[in-house]
Amino acid sequence: MSETITYLKQQVRKNIQTYAIILAMIVIWILFSFLTEGRYIGAQNISNLFRQMVITSFLAIGMVLVMVTGNIDLSVGKLAGFVSVVVAQFQANIWFHYIPNRELLTTVFSVLIGIAVGTIFEVLQGYLISYLHIPAFIVTLGGQWALNGGIMIITEGKTIPANQPLFSVIAQGYLSPNIGWVFAGVVILFMVFSTLQGRRNKIKYGFKPLPMLIEVLRLIALAALIVIYVAIVNNYNGVQIPVMLLAITAVIMSYVSTNTPVGRYAYAIGGNREAARLSGVNISKNVFNIFVLMGLMSGISGVVLASYVGYGTIAAGQGYELDAIASTVLGGTSTLGGIGTIFGAIIGSLIIASLTSGLQMMNVPAAWQYVLKGIVLVVAVYADVYLKKNR
Amino acid sequence: MSNDFILDIRNVTKRFPGVVALDDVSIKIKRGEIHGICGENGAGKSTLMMILKGVHPWGSYEGQIFYDDHELKLEDRSIRQASEEGIAIVYQELTLVPNMTVGENVFLGREPRTKTGINWNKLYSDTQKILDKYHLDIDANALVKNLGVGKMQMTEIAKALSENAKILILDEPTSALSEEEIVHLMEILKTLKSHGVTCIYITHKLSELFRITDTVTVLRDGRVITTQPIDKLTEDALISHMVGRKIKERFPKGNRKPGKEILRVEDLRAVDPDDNSREVIKGASFNLREGEILGIAGLMGSGRTELVSTLFGEYGRITSGKIYLDDQEVKIDSANHSMRLGISLVPEDRKKYGLVLIQDIQKNISLANLDKFSKWFKIDFNAEIKKTSEFAEKLEIKAPNLFVACQTLSGGNQQKVVIAKWLMSEPRVLIMDDPTRGIDVGAKYEIYKLMNDLAENGIAIIMISSELEEVIGMSDRIMVMSAGKSRGILEPKDFDQEKIMAMATGY
Ligand SMILES: Nc1ncnc2c1ncn2[C@@H]1O[C@H](COP(=O)(O)OP(=O)(O)OP(=O)(O)O)[C@@H](O)[C@H]1O
Ligand SMILES: [Mg+2]
Repeated sequence: MSETITYLKQQVRKNIQTYAIILAMIVIWILFSFLTEGRYIGAQNISNLFRQMVITSFLAIGMVLVMVTGNIDLSVGKLAGFVSVVVAQFQANIWFHYIPNRELLTTVFSVLIGIAVGTIFEVLQGYLISYLHIPAFIVTLGGQWALNGGIMIITEGKTIPANQPLFSVIAQGYLSPNIGWVFAGVVILFMVFSTLQGRRNKIKYGFKPLPMLIEVLRLIALAALIVIYVAIVNNYNGVQIPVMLLAITAVIMSYVSTNTPVGRYAYAIGGNREAARLSGVNISKNVFNIFVLMGLMSGISGVVLASYVGYGTIAAGQGYELDAIASTVLGGTSTLGGIGTIFGAIIGSLIIASLTSGLQMMNVPAAWQYVLKGIVLVVAVYADVYLKKNR
Repeated sequence: MSNDFILDIRNVTKRFPGVVALDDVSIKIKRGEIHGICGENGAGKSTLMMILKGVHPWGSYEGQIFYDDHELKLEDRSIRQASEEGIAIVYQELTLVPNMTVGENVFLGREPRTKTGINWNKLYSDTQKILDKYHLDIDANALVKNLGVGKMQMTEIAKALSENAKILILDEPTSALSEEEIVHLMEILKTLKSHGVTCIYITHKLSELFRITDTVTVLRDGRVITTQPIDKLTEDALISHMVGRKIKERFPKGNRKPGKEILRVEDLRAVDPDDNSREVIKGASFNLREGEILGIAGLMGSGRTELVSTLFGEYGRITSGKIYLDDQEVKIDSANHSMRLGISLVPEDRKKYGLVLIQDIQKNISLANLDKFSKWFKIDFNAEIKKTSEFAEKLEIKAPNLFVACQTLSGGNQQKVVIAKWLMSEPRVLIMDDPTRGIDVGAKYEIYKLMNDLAENGIAIIMISSELEEVIGMSDRIMVMSAGKSRGILEPKDFDQEKIMAMATGY
């Protein structure tokens, strides 16, 4: 028992930042719930809030890794926008000529094309940055301008519809309540299984695994969160498909960042480029890989964007890159590189979405929303700096 | 004078998360003496000095410090307060700004002013005066990044001297200095002493303690073991105070049997990649056999580091000459390439090239070895922990656990992490650039043992060292370098300090 307590204390001290930001989020939720007389935590609002964060969250996931390597990507907002208008163009004007009435096929093609466009663009940018050594800030700023032009060329200033029923499901669909429960069950089983597997591996190597009590408590807490979430959203329309996609992507990318050499090298490069190089890490190749992952995320984000708004417009993706950067920084990613987690970025993104949603619900004018969000961002990061110094 | 003691440290305890760095430490330091402090890596030496300078301010530790009859309460982390009190320090790690000149660095934060800005003329003439006064051959206008490590260290010392302090603290000032520069530093310290300046001198080189200090305090695990006048001590006594046991020999006897040639370098010449007109290697030739330790001796600036980093594909641009690996010519163009060929380099500057300071010990050690633990793109954490802790134990890395950031480790323990990383990588050729810099006597012995093990398993080792004793004690052959050239290779029968020095200085 005392072992459990020391372990918990240790964990709290080690991850104080993560806990602080989760706490901040809870405070925001409680505050808005009071201010809106409970409407804020109603099923409908919670459901929408999570859906709204999805598009920038995909970008933020990629951005964490880019920033961890000590780089930045200013083009991703417009890249997602560009992907969305390309996809809309295919949906509205192209498939129709070549493969009419094949909705499933066209939807799949649209998704693949969107992802390919995002990835190819970042392959190009990544090449310029990592192999030709042009600063990322400049390359991606140039990329942003070029993409903006690309969006204008494709849309010709018009709005392109992308509201075909099946395509819309990607960002607007819901799992039926029963399937939602099945999904939750599968996730929980998976967690139990991987925990047991982890313990078995530890024992195999002769290490003492964590006390069973801690593992069980952790599993119960996580399972409870999942069950509560599904219960709430089932009260509205069900588990949102885009949120499910985001969750799966986040888990995979989080795994990549911590459990694979690709991720490990990214952190080492950002922490000390020279030391990483002398340790035999191929800097160019690894930075390039990270930008390709960023492209993948931008592609997915763009597809979801097209499906979410139901059309492609000239303003698509405007400013999303800054939302993504703000999310990562709120989530503890260092602007100097070497530090940051995907989980943190998702929470950061959720905080921004929560603020926006709350302020809108209270009918705060758009101008003041910006002012308040700006203040929150800076204060939150200061709190983080302060916590670190006085630990 | 009201009191014989300028500094009276009473019952100081300093804790960090998971470590008690100083445990009830009491030391009295006499006015005008040179007080040596020694002890194992992580014993708490640097921590104590940082308390005296206010880096760890008053209130962050327990106990009291009396200085010149008043209690020292440094509350200002900007350390200006300590300077005003007359306490100057040369930190263990360089703190210079590479892109500034020597003058700018010396007066950083306290530049002489005119009415509207900085009085540059005064700044440079004052700097030059200090440099000249202590006969330091450094130009006040030179950019720090263009100086060698030795000169950087001397600049650091000049910076401390410029404060005209009453107490001068030197934390391992000689780890980057050549023998000549060390002699020079000793002269400076003697002059200061004759002017009544008190000096606290930290070092792992025991011979220096006997050369210069009056009194020595030994720390172990944050506690004072003893404070004694130096003439009452012997080297053996010091060592057993430090490590708590006797060490019979400084260098373990290996059972190395050099085999066939693995690496051959023929008349290699290379230029500075940033300045093609500056030739840094002016003809180096040698060969290296499997299972052999080849020592490279030479003064600072003799081109030793340049030679090995060029071999490693990371520094010089080769203009002529050839490198053969297994009798096949190789052209190595990057560290990555070099390591794929089986050649690894332990870099000289641990902070800049050796460590990711914000990452923990385990990640640093495994960084060069991830493929050993990875299968199908997945790192096996358990295997990683097992292997890294094995090395951490062998090298006696002192830390609460393997998951603390390297920036919280003491200098010597950071060095051990770097060494562990490269020993684990098991290359065919291991190049070590001053590997035992800042490492205590006991741990050095362990590192030598590991080097022997590797060599006995057929790994070829090149070891650069500034300590002649170390080169002589560990090498099968010694190559001497001076002014960018290899001056010849000595066989064991010719291992002799004077002979080596003569080759290293003679042209
Ligand atoms: N900022 C810090 N945070 C946590 N632990 C620290 C910090 N600074 C020092 N320590 C710990 O305090 C102990 C003493 O460190 P210190 O740097 O004083 O050793 P040292 O005697 O100077 O060793 P060396 O000979 O290696 O330089 C070490 O165990 C170190 O890990
Ligand atoms: Mg130290």
